[in-house]
Amino acid sequence: MIVSRHAWWIGAVAVAVVALALGIWFGQPGPVDPSPVAQPATAILGVTLPDPEGQDQALAQWKGKVLVVNFWATWCAPCREEMPMFVRLQSAHGAKGVQFVGIAVDNVDKVRQFASDLKLNYPTLIGGYGAMELSKSLGNTIMALPFTVIVDRNGRVAHTQLGPLKEDQLNAILGNLS
Amino acid sequence: MRCSPTFNGSTPRRARNDRRGGAARFAAAAWLAWAGAAGAAGPALLPAEQAFRLSARALDPQTLEVRFNVADGYYLYRDKLRFGVEPATVKAGAPVLPPGKLHEDEFFGKVTTYRGLAVIRLGIASARAGQQVTLVVDSQGCADAGVCYPPQLQKVALTLPAAGAGATPAVEAATAKKPYFP
Repeated sequence: MIVSRHAWWIGAVAVAVVALALGIWFGQPGPVDPSPVAQPATAILGVTLPDPEGQDQALAQWKGKVLVVNFWATWCAPCREEMPMFVRLQSAHGAKGVQFVGIAVDNVDKVRQFASDLKLNYPTLIGGYGAMELSKSLGNTIMALPFTVIVDRNGRVAHTQLGPLKEDQLNAILGNLS
Repeated sequence: MRCSPTFNGSTPRRARNDRRGGAARFAAAAWLAWAGAAGAAGPALLPAEQAFRLSARALDPQTLEVRFNVADGYYLYRDKLRFGVEPATVKAGAPVLPPGKLHEDEFFGKVTTYRGLAVIRLGIASARAGQQVTLVVDSQGCADAGVCYPPQLQKVALTLPAAGAGATPAVEAATAKKPYFP
């Protein structure tokens, strides 16, 4: 029993160490709660990334809005497929305080071209492999795209999704939050 | 993240009753919440290195054989494959790629993809028997479930056999982070 209790405590300490390491790794001030859902979206709202013009943009500037953060890339066909829907929903819900923001795991020239072709009506920022690591910290454990995080007006993660969102589903989520 | 059953299995019941039980329950709840949230984020999908398993062997001092074992429901883009060999003194030839399957992609037009097993041969020059070489492979693929993986950079360290000694055993690739995107 003593041995198994020790094993248990080793396990518990291991969880705490992993949580602490994740907190440090992702630049958070303290231990990270391991559940990304319904938690303060510190990890995402604390992010600053350059836009395609090279200007740093802090995601915190959209605090208080319903924030839809979409990790995407031009090399990702399912990402490209769902983005026209985001353009439509940005138009439909923007006045109610919904803000879409893209984080492109891609090179800037391709992002600029695609954003222009699509007439993207919301900002997209440029991330590198660090953006994949960030998405992992938010629940994208297999690090694939598209991955979308929806943050409510109170700065809490309301929904995360790996793979494309359906328009009905996203409309319903945004209707509830905005 | 799927280790929770083992972890819970080792939980002594008595721990619930002692004064440390609260902390123990917190740790267990945190662990399960993490695992649960990860699972809830989407369909059960494999990480790239398991979806696209890469191994290689040297057939002789001038020929490397690269094998991609692509899991069911996943595919690799043929035109995203790149092969190189280190050190730079060893010259890699053009890879001999299998035909693959033509796929009409809404965005990328006609693309060739690999599913299942893809065996690729790569000729190398200026290498000697017994030399250590590192095969460097870039690849990128997707899952039918509707997600794509960032380009992967994988490396396989091989020791070239002597002429006539036969092929070396296959070696599984190690995955390195890809710092840029094509």
